Formats: sequence, structure tokens, C-alpha cells
Amino acid sequence: SLPSGPSPEIFRRAKFDRPEATPALWQLLFRVLAPLPLDNPLASLAPEVQARLVKSALRSQGYPRLALAQLPEDGSQGSRELLLALSWLLARGPVPEQMLAQTRVPLGDEMTVCQCEALASPGPPAPQVRAEDPVDVRYVQWLMGKLRFRWRQLVSSQQEQCTLLSKIHLYTSGCHGDQSLGHLSVAEAEMLRDPEGGQQVRGFWSGNPQNLDLAYLKGLHFSCTPGMGPRTFWKDLWLVCEQPGLLLGDWSLLSPLRALLRTLECENRRLEAVLTWRRTELVFWQWMDTVLDTCAPRAPAAASQGTFLPGIPEHRGGELELVAWELRALQEELQEAAECRRAAWEAKAGGCGRGPEWSAVRRASREAVEKELGALQRCWEQDRDPAQPHGPHRLVRREDGAAGDWDLRAAEVIRTLRSQEACLEAVLHQLQGQCRQGLARLAGALPGLIWIPPLGR
Amino acid sequence: MLPRDCSGRLVAELQGALDACAERQLQLEQSLRVCRRLLQAWEPTGTRASEPPPGPETNEEDPPPACTPSPQDLKELEFLTQALEKAVRVRRGITKAGETDKVPSPRSRSTVAPPGTIAFAPPQNPGRAGGRASDARPTKGPCQTTVPPKGHSERQLLSLGHKTRVGTGARAPRPGPGLRDQQMAPSAAPQAPKAFTLKEKGHLLRLPAAFRKVASQNASLWAQLSSMQTSDSTDATAAKTQFLQNMQTASGGSQPRLSAEEVEAETRRLWKACSLLRLRMREELSAAPTDWMQEYRCLLTLEGLQAMVGQCLHRLQELRAAVAEQPPRPCPVRRPPRASPSCGGGADPAWSPQLLVYSSTQELQTLAALRLRVAMLEQQIHLEKVLLEEEVGGLERRRTRR
Repeated sequence: SLPSGPSPEIFRRAKFDRPEATPALWQLLFRVLAPLPLDNPLASLAPEVQARLVKSALRSQGYPRLALAQLPEDGSQGSRELLLALSWLLARGPVPEQMLAQTRVPLGDEMTVCQCEALASPGPPAPQVRAEDPVDVRYVQWLMGKLRFRWRQLVSSQQEQCTLLSKIHLYTSGCHGDQSLGHLSVAEAEMLRDPEGGQQVRGFWSGNPQNLDLAYLKGLHFSCTPGMGPRTFWKDLWLVCEQPGLLLGDWSLLSPLRALLRTLECENRRLEAVLTWRRTELVFWQWMDTVLDTCAPRAPAAASQGTFLPGIPEHRGGELELVAWELRALQEELQEAAECRRAAWEAKAGGCGRGPEWSAVRRASREAVEKELGALQRCWEQDRDPAQPHGPHRLVRREDGAAGDWDLRAAEVIRTLRSQEACLEAVLHQLQGQCRQGLARLAGALPGLIWIPPLGR
Repeated sequence: MLPRDCSGRLVAELQGALDACAERQLQLEQSLRVCRRLLQAWEPTGTRASEPPPGPETNEEDPPPACTPSPQDLKELEFLTQALEKAVRVRRGITKAGETDKVPSPRSRSTVAPPGTIAFAPPQNPGRAGGRASDARPTKGPCQTTVPPKGHSERQLLSLGHKTRVGTGARAPRPGPGLRDQQMAPSAAPQAPKAFTLKEKGHLLRLPAAFRKVASQNASLWAQLSSMQTSDSTDATAAKTQFLQNMQTASGGSQPRLSAEEVEAETRRLWKACSLLRLRMREELSAAPTDWMQEYRCLLTLEGLQAMVGQCLHRLQELRAAVAEQPPRPCPVRRPPRASPSCGGGADPAWSPQLLVYSSTQELQTLAALRLRVAMLEQQIHLEKVLLEEEVGGLERRRTRR
């Protein structure tokens, strides 16, 4: 039997800041803040390291309470503070749903349209490395060429994948039980072709499911947990992390079909648990208010704030400077253009008269422009573009291309992507130009500087 | 030579980009392998020409039955039998009640199997039929417990062609995938079910009933979750907001400091603003106004854009001031990708994937190609920014140092 999550006892003890509840809560927070697949080596970090990571993650999200940062990392005390931190996270965002979505078993062929987890944001946090030897510019150019080549490879592989996928969808159309889907996905077809599959298949299937890739047993390492009720609201947040070897060992005797069924069943139980949680959530928040009450009110310690502020990584500050530079350049251009047009306009229409008809027209124009610009502003102020859907989508082939209300049509997505492409190309050209200008400006100050050709196609 | 300071970061970023590409390529290739295999002939398990499973013995053929097993072989056989028995136990535990247990009793008669592989003899076949290569599909016999051919129409059926291929009423000892004859009568001399391709028979496949049931339950639960999300009870929301406020006051009541994530999000927003404003400016400047009203509009727009840029710069100053107050600290841990997605994860109403409907291969290819192009552009922009930041910033620093 698999280890289960923290019992309700842990949470009751935490309310009274009992030390024995502390380690479990550190672990729970770690799982919530840094959800990692079980085979990731980070999942088995020492508790102190986990605690430190939890602190830093909370800090970067803006956790308001200073007490957390002061907690010892050995798990000896602080359970109430950890409980508060957990509730803070739960209050801010739909944590259970997010965790479910992360470990969801994708049954279909999926494609993500937005770029949340795209290659665009390279992983390693760039360290402040001072290279010992100056790097030859040719090495950089070689790297850039290699990158271009890899992209071309990706594109051609992707095109082939699309052709094959399209064929599979076409050939299996009409046999899916779910009418809205109509045809099988690759995962479903593979399950039919080889339900009992050999070792080779199993190793393959645990790969990372992203964008047209397959995720047959992605959720394999998460076990089912008992359902939730008002007394056990936490159980489903607990993910099995303690005995991954045991878990995988048990399941390796199952055929992929059986394992998939089991995973899906687990997911269903977890879904039910989250639904129950949502229905009875109010009870929890009322209880948390009492927890907060038991905390001694802290006097604002303004003097000690210096040590505990969230750290802004240094290179982010650099990015702000860059935006500032871009905006200022833009402002200059606009100023020039606007003044020029204004002068021309005044000259032309200065004598047009100030009749009521004229001022009505002016007002109408002003309102129209304000409305347009307001819409433009909303485009960047909203974090999420409502027209741009978020997350992966299941690809479905239909000859007529008919789509329901909630569905996306490929043609529309193509339009959106094309406009995005145009926008990004403009930005890129702009940046390349700035780079050239900047270097040219400074070249005079530093004779002998070698100009590095800008990145580009 | 590149200035010393910037080379390190640029090279690191480039290598990161290369690694990401390589990983992506690997996934694609895995995927391609599966797809290609699906489109080839689906051979029934007995005659499948798949890669031999890993095992110390490369010889897939049966040793002739007359060969006396060596003590080594017997030991291995014993080990295998134990493993198989355990497998059967596990399977029995999982199998729904009522499914016939088709584990063949003559299993123990399956003589020397290549070690490292688990091969079952089919019930009526001691040894292997026709000297066919034992391509060690690990679970031949018990596989029938998982999808027992009970003749239910919901089971995987190939209603049409299969009967004619396999022969009347003959049950394949190792039933082909997805093709189950209606009456799986045992046969003494099993005939190999013929291979077929997805092209010919794809539309006749059926998913197993067990799977369909679980999958539809899954879909409906996700739908419930989505609808619950959109119609979130106001009580709970109010309670949450109240709780957050209480926490804020309890922790000292000072104005919430700007977190690293928020600064990042704001910076991204400002970037987006910059590019949108610039694009709009270009549009206005390139449009040729035909009458004075349009000209007036154009003028107003340009002035409006100018004002907006001013607002952005103002906001930027505020951000700069907030950042300057706080000591910079290196980022110790790589933030999980969903922590602050550029798309803003919190407000997503649909947790399970919506459908993306396409109508032709061409369309799908265009879609995929565009997506890659956008990703590539974003990466290029990022690298260009890095270059700018480091180089120009570095040069500026050097200049001001003089």
C-alpha cells in the first residue's frame, strides 16, 4: 500500500504550532511549489535544501510574512507559519487544479498555441559569469549557425510529423466512441496496436509530453489518494514522493493498457477530490481565520526588512534598462512625427473656423481615437489576451472544419499566429537596429573595438 | 574578440537555446517513430517483426524441444515462473470480476524460454507453433484476462475482414491488437492472423470498453471542474480575499513589496506595450490620409501614442525605484515554468484541453510551422536582448569608468 498524505491531525497540530507537524508541511509546500516528476533527482533533495527552496520560492512570489524566512530549516519548529504559507498559496491561485493540470494524462494529440513553456525562455538562470578568456567571436557565430541549423531540422521533422498525424487521424475516422472527437489519437491507436507492449515501448512512453508528442504514461508516478471531505481537505495535495522505486516497480508488471487505465482511474479520483474540496472550501477558510487569530500579532519590524526582501535577479534590472531605452527611442520618434504633423495640420486647417459643426467633428474624432487607443492599452495591460487561448489543445481532424463554441479553428489560430509573427519581426528588427546604433555610437569612444555583427537570419 | 564581460552570458544563453532545441528534436523523433510504426502494417503479435526485446540471449528461436534444459536454464525458468505467477496475481487483483481467467495451465510446460524474456506458450501449444520465433511478448496468455473475448460487441472487434482472414471460428492464440474475433474458439493449429494497415482497416478499430468508460468519466469530471471554476462561489472568493487581507495586516501592514515575479511581469508588459505602440505608429505613418478628417485622426492618434509612451516611462521609473530599493540577489532556483507564464495562468477557465479543429494536412502543417516560427522569433529576440544588455551595457560601463 502506498503512503498517504498528511493526516488531518497534522493540520490541527499545526494550528497550535506543534513542532511534530513541521516536516510534513515543509514537504507538502515543496511539492506544491516545485512540482517535479518523481524520476527527477531534485525530488529527493535533503529536507534542509527543500526548505531553502521553499523559502526562496515564496519570497519570489511576494509572501508577506517575514516570519517564514526566519524559520529554521531543520524542521524543528514553525508548523503554524508553514500552514499559513500553504493557505496563502491556496488563496491566491487555483493550486489543486493547476497541479491536476500538470499531471493530466493526455489522451489526444496535443498542441499548445501559446508560448508559455516554449523554447523562447531558456532554462538556465544566467549566472554572472566572468569568462576567464575572451571568447572568440567566431565561436559565437558558429554557435549561432548551429542554432539556425537545429531550428531548420525541427521545422522539417515537425512537417513530417504533421503529415503522419493527419494520415492517422484520417484513417481512423469514425471509430472513436466520442462523436465530437471522431477519430483516434496516436496514443489511442498505439494502445490498440500494442496493448500489452514490450519493454521498449514502456521506456519510450515516459517521455515528456509536449506539443504533438505522446504522453502515454505521464501520470504514472502519481498515485491515487483517498478522497477529500471537510475533515481531510489536504489529502489530495499530497503526492507520493517517498518511495518512487516501489511505486514504479509495482507498476512495471502491468501492461501499458492496464497502467493507463489505472492512471486514468487515479486521475478521476483526484478530480472528484478536488471537486469536493471546492464544494466545501468555505469551511476551510473559516478554520484558517481561527488559525490566524491564534498567531500573536507582530509589530512591523521596519528596520529588519532589509534582509528579507525578495531578491530581484541582477540581470532583470538590466532588462528594465533595455525597455527604458526602447521606450525613450520610441518617444523621440513619436514626438518628432507628432510635432511635424501638428504643424502641418495647423497650417492647413488653422483657418477652418470654429463653428459648432467643426467642433462636433473634432469631438467625435477624439472619442474614436481614445477608444481605439484604450483597446490597444488593454492589449498589454491584461496579462492574458482573451483571444489567445492558453494551454494545450487536442487536435481533431474534421473535413468540414466545423467547430463548437469552445473549440478553436485552425484558420483562426493561423491568423493570430501570423499577426504575432509580424509583431515579433518588427520588434526583432528594432532591436537589431538599436544594437547597431548603440555600437556605432560607442565605437568612437573606444577605438579598436571590433564590431560584432548582430544576430539574425 | 568579444568584450570579456558579455561573452560568458551570451554563450551560456546560446548553449541553453541549443539544448532546448535538441531536447525538442528528440521528442519529435520519438513521436515520429511511433507514428511511422502505426502507419506500417500492424502485424499480429505472433509474427510481428519488432525489435527483439533486450535480453542476454539474442537467439529468438526455440531450442528444439528435445534439448534437455541445463541447470542454469532450470534456475532461470524457476525465476521466470515466479515472476509470472506474481504477474498473474497482480493481474487477477486488477481484473474486473467476472472476466475469465485465461491463464493457460500448460504454462509451466513452456520449455526453455530465452532468459530475460517472458514468453507464454499458447494454451494448446506446448512449445511454439510452427517454430515461429518466440518474440517474447511478455504477456501473451494473461493478456486475455485484460480483454477477454467474450463476444461482447463493445470489445475490440474487427467485425468484417477478420473472420475471413483468420479462418472460420479459429481463435488466434495470440490475438492481434484491436482485432478480436467474435468467437475466440481455441484451435489446435492456430493460423497467423494476417497483417493489416491502418489505411485499410483503421476505421474499423474499436477502443476497449473499459478504456472508453474511464475516459468518458474523465472527460466529464474535467468539464465539471471547468464549469465550477467559472461559477466560483462568491462566498469562497470573499473568504479568500478576506483571508489574504488579514494576512497582510497581521504581517506588519506595510505596503506589499514588489515581488520578483511582479517586476518580471511588469517588464514583460512594458515590452509588449513598446512593440504594440511601435507597430501602431508605423501603421499611422505609412497610411496616406485621403481627407482632412483622416489626417486629423492620424494626428490625434500619434499624439495619443506619445502620451501613452509617456505613461509607460513613468511606470518604468516607479519600477526602477522599487527595484533600486531592494538589494539584488541572484536567482537561486529555476522557477517552475508555470509560476509566471506570459499568458497568465490564473484566469484560465478550461482546465482540460479544448479542441483544435483542422481540416487538412496543409492546414496542420501551416499551423505547426507558424508556431515554431513564433517560438524561434521569441528566442531570437531574447538573445538579441541579451546581446544588447551585455554588450552595450558593458561598453557604457567601460566608457563611464574613464
